[in-house]
Amino acid sequence: MASPLEQFVNNVRAMSASGNFRELCEIIGKSDEVLQRNSAHLTTVLETLDIQQHSLGVLAVLVAKFSLPPGTNDVDRTTMFQQIHDFINNCNGEQVRFAPDLYADLCHLLTDHLVDLKQPIKGIEILKKAIRKIQLFDSQLTSIHADLCQLCLLSKCMKPAIEFLDTDVTGIGSELGGNNDSKHFLLYYYYGGMIYTAMKNYERALYFFEVVVTVPAMVVSHIMLEAYKKYILVSLILHGKILPMPKYTSQVVSRFLKPLSMAYYELATSQHAAIKHRETFVRDKNMGIVNQVLNSMYKKNIQRLTKTFLTLSLSDVASRVQLAGPAQAESYILNMKDGMVVFLDSPEKYASPETLCVLEQQMAACTKLHQYIQEMDEQIQVNPQYVKKSVGSHDEDMPATSQNSKTTYSM
Amino acid sequence: MFEMNAAEPMQVDVPLEDNENNESECYVVENPTLDLETYSAAYTGFAKLYRLMFVADHCPSLRLESLKMAISYVMTTYNVSLYQSLHKKLAEAVASAGLPDIAVQMGSQDIPVLDTIWVESKTKKAAIKLEKLDTDLKNYKTNSIKESIRRGHDDLGDHYLDCGDLTSALKCYSRARDYCTSGKHIIMMCLNVVKVSVYLQNWAHVLNYVSKAESTPDFTEAPGKDTNQTILTRLKCAAGLAELATKKYKSAAKHFLAASIDHCDYPELLSSNNVAIYGGLCALATFDRSELQKQVIVSSSFKLFLELEPQLRDIIFKFYESKYASCLRLLDEIRDNLLLDMYLAPHLNSLYMQIRNRALIQYFSPYLSADMHLMAAAFNRTVTALEDELMQLILDGQIQARIDSHNKILYAKDVDQRSTTFERSLTMGKEYQRRTSMLILRAAMLKNQIHVKNIGRETGPQSGEAPGSSTSLTCTVRTIDTVPL
Repeated sequence: MASPLEQFVNNVRAMSASGNFRELCEIIGKSDEVLQRNSAHLTTVLETLDIQQHSLGVLAVLVAKFSLPPGTNDVDRTTMFQQIHDFINNCNGEQVRFAPDLYADLCHLLTDHLVDLKQPIKGIEILKKAIRKIQLFDSQLTSIHADLCQLCLLSKCMKPAIEFLDTDVTGIGSELGGNNDSKHFLLYYYYGGMIYTAMKNYERALYFFEVVVTVPAMVVSHIMLEAYKKYILVSLILHGKILPMPKYTSQVVSRFLKPLSMAYYELATSQHAAIKHRETFVRDKNMGIVNQVLNSMYKKNIQRLTKTFLTLSLSDVASRVQLAGPAQAESYILNMKDGMVVFLDSPEKYASPETLCVLEQQMAACTKLHQYIQEMDEQIQVNPQYVKKSVGSHDEDMPATSQNSKTTYSM
Repeated sequence: MFEMNAAEPMQVDVPLEDNENNESECYVVENPTLDLETYSAAYTGFAKLYRLMFVADHCPSLRLESLKMAISYVMTTYNVSLYQSLHKKLAEAVASAGLPDIAVQMGSQDIPVLDTIWVESKTKKAAIKLEKLDTDLKNYKTNSIKESIRRGHDDLGDHYLDCGDLTSALKCYSRARDYCTSGKHIIMMCLNVVKVSVYLQNWAHVLNYVSKAESTPDFTEAPGKDTNQTILTRLKCAAGLAELATKKYKSAAKHFLAASIDHCDYPELLSSNNVAIYGGLCALATFDRSELQKQVIVSSSFKLFLELEPQLRDIIFKFYESKYASCLRLLDEIRDNLLLDMYLAPHLNSLYMQIRNRALIQYFSPYLSADMHLMAAAFNRTVTALEDELMQLILDGQIQARIDSHNKILYAKDVDQRSTTFERSLTMGKEYQRRTSMLILRAAMLKNQIHVKNIGRETGPQSGEAPGSSTSLTCTVRTIDTVPL
C-alpha cells in the first residue's frame, strides 16, 4: 500500500477516534488527489474502515471512487448502488454533517448512475432517507432535494416527493449557497413545479416556478427560461392571464427571458397561437400543458358566462366561447364537474363545521407564519452587524448578513 | 442666436404635420347642420384656421366654403406658408369635386387664385418687420431696461405667431420669463406660452404653465377683480382642453365647469359654446347622479353656458329625468356636428360609450328584474345587442346582475354578504401565506447568497450563458421534460 494512502487511513482512524472531525474534514478536502490516484486500492481501503465509526473517511473514499470517469477499469459499478445504499443507511449523521457538500456529491453520483441505468425508481427511498439524515430541521432545503424530485419525475412516481415539496422551506443547506452555483436550487424548484403541475396542483406549481424566476440573477440560466415558460402556461391555466412578476424580479427576466418566450405570450391573447407556434411548443416539450391551457380557457370562458347568464342556449354558449358548435359546447359543459351546467350561485354557504375547520386551520397557519416573521425580525434586531449599521457607522465594509437583512425588509 | 432665426424666419409649421396626422383617422361627416359663418366668427387666429381646416378635412359639403374662409382670413396675417398650403388644398378640393367645367367657370369669379404678388410682398414685409423687432430688442438689451426687453420678446413672439412659426414663438414667449418684474407679467407670459402650447398640442406644457400662473402670488391675492376672472376662466379653459385631450374626462369637466360665462372671452382658443359642450359631455360621461345635479343642473354659472346649447341642455335634463331613449336620440342628432370639432372628435366615441353605459346602469339600478325587450326599446337597440352590452358591464362588475337569456329578463344578483366575506377572507389568507412563505424563502436565499451567476466560464459579452445552460445540464432538463404532463 502506497504511503500517502496509508497516511490517509491513519489520519481518518486517529481523528475519528478523538472526535476531531473539523480537522479531519480539512485533511479530506486535501486528499482528494491522493485517493483518485490510487483508485486501484480504494476497495481495500474501504475494507479497513468502519462505516459507522469512520463515516467521513468512507464518504471521501466512496465519492473519490465513483467520481472517476466511467471508463476506468478499477471501479466496479455493479455494486455501486448497494455500497451507497449501505453507507447512507449506516453512516453516522453527526459526522457527515461536517461535510454536507461531499455527502450531497455522493447522492448526485448515485442519481446520475440510476438515471444512466434507467432505474430511477430504485433510488427514491434511499434518497428520502439521505435527506432526513443530513437535514438539521424538516424545512431545510438540501441539494439532494433536487435529485429526489428528478428521480420521482423520471419514474413517474410523484407521491414520495410531495411530502418534501409541501413543506415550505425556511432554511437552506450550506452546500447550496455561497460560492456553489445555484443549479440545484433552481432545479429543485423547477422539478417541484413540474411535479405539482403533473399532480394538477397548479397553485403550488405556480409558486414553485415563480421562485425559480425570481432568484436573483446576473445572467440567464436555461433552467430559469424553461421555468418562465411553464410559469406563463400555469398562470394561464390558473388565472386565465399572465400574472405580473413581483417587483424584486431580476432585470434579466424582462430583458432576456421575455423576448425568448414570445410564443407563450401570444397564447395569452389568442388561442390560434397554439397552432401557429406548435413547433416551438413541441420542441420545448410543453405541448401537453399547452393543450391544458386551451381546455381551461374554454372552461374559464364558459364560467364567465355563468356569472352573467342564468340561462343560455347551447348554440349561444358555443358562439360566445368560440367553439365549433352546440355539440362541442355540450361536451365541454358536461366535462366540467363543478355543477356549472346549471348556472346557479355557488352552493357553498360557509355554514358547515368543515368550513369552520378550514377557516381555523388557515388562521392558525397565518398566525404561525406571522410569529416566524417576528422571530426573524427579532434575530435581525439583535444582529451586531445590523445594530452597527443602523446606528450609522459606515467605515466598515458591511458583510453579507446585514445587507441581507436590509434586502429582506425591502420586500 | 437671433441672427440665425432672422435668416430663416419661415420654418416648417409643426401644426401642418399635425393636420396630416388628423387626416389619417379618416371619417366623413355627410350632413352637418353647422352654420360655418357663425362658427368661424367665434374664433380668431390659429383657432379659426385650424378649426376651418378640420372642417374642410372631414366634411366634403363644406370643404370649399371653409377653405375659402380660411384663405381670406390667412391673408390678414403674415402666414405665407399656410396660405400656400391652403391653396394647394383648395386646388385638390376643386379637382376632386369632379366638376371641372363648373370649377373652371367658378374659378374666375368664386374660387380665389393663388396671389403670387401677395406672397412675395408679404414675405418681404415679414422679413422687414422681423428685422426691425430684432434690432429693437438688441437696443433694449444694450440699454438693459428689463420692461422693454420683456416687451421686445413678446412682440417678437407675436410676430412669429403671425407668421405661423409656432416653435420660435414659443421660444420668444418663454424667454420673456427672465424679464418679468411683476406677477402680472408672469401671468401674461404663462398665458402666451399656454396659447402656443395648445396650438402645438403640447398638453403637458399647457397644464404645467396653467398651474404656474395659478400659483403666482398677485393672482391669488385679488381674485375678485374682473380681469382676474377673465384670466382664471382662460386658464380653466386651457386646462380643461388639455385634460380632455389626455382623456381625463372627469377633471376636464371640472375645469370647464369652473369657467365663468361673463368672463369667457378666449377666441384664440375656444368659444363659450365649446365650453358648454365640452364641459356638459364630459360631466355627463363621468359624473354620478348627485354630482350631475349639484354641479351641472343647479349650477347657476354653468346653467348660463347650457343656455347657449339648448340641445345639450335638453340631453342632460332628459338623462337626469331617466328618459334615456330621447336622451340618446338627441345625442345621436348632435353627433355629426360634434364630429367636426377638432378637439372633441377623437374622444366622441368613448364619451358616448361612457354616457350610454352610465344610462344602462342607472336604468337598472332600482329594479330587481327587468324585461330586456322593454329595456332594448328604451335604449334604441335590438335585444341581442343589448345582451352583449349588458354582458360586458356585468363582467366589468358595473352591474350586479345576471341575464336569463331564454326569457330575456335581467335579474339583479342576490349578493350574499356573508358568503362573499368568507370567500374574500379565505383568499386573502391564502395570499398572505403564499407571500409570507415566499418572503421567508427569499430571506434564506439571500442569506445563503444564492443567485444565478457565471462561474469561471468565458461566455461572450451578451451574457447569455449561465451555470444552468452547461450541456450536461441541458441534457438533464431535456430528459426530465420527456415526462408527459
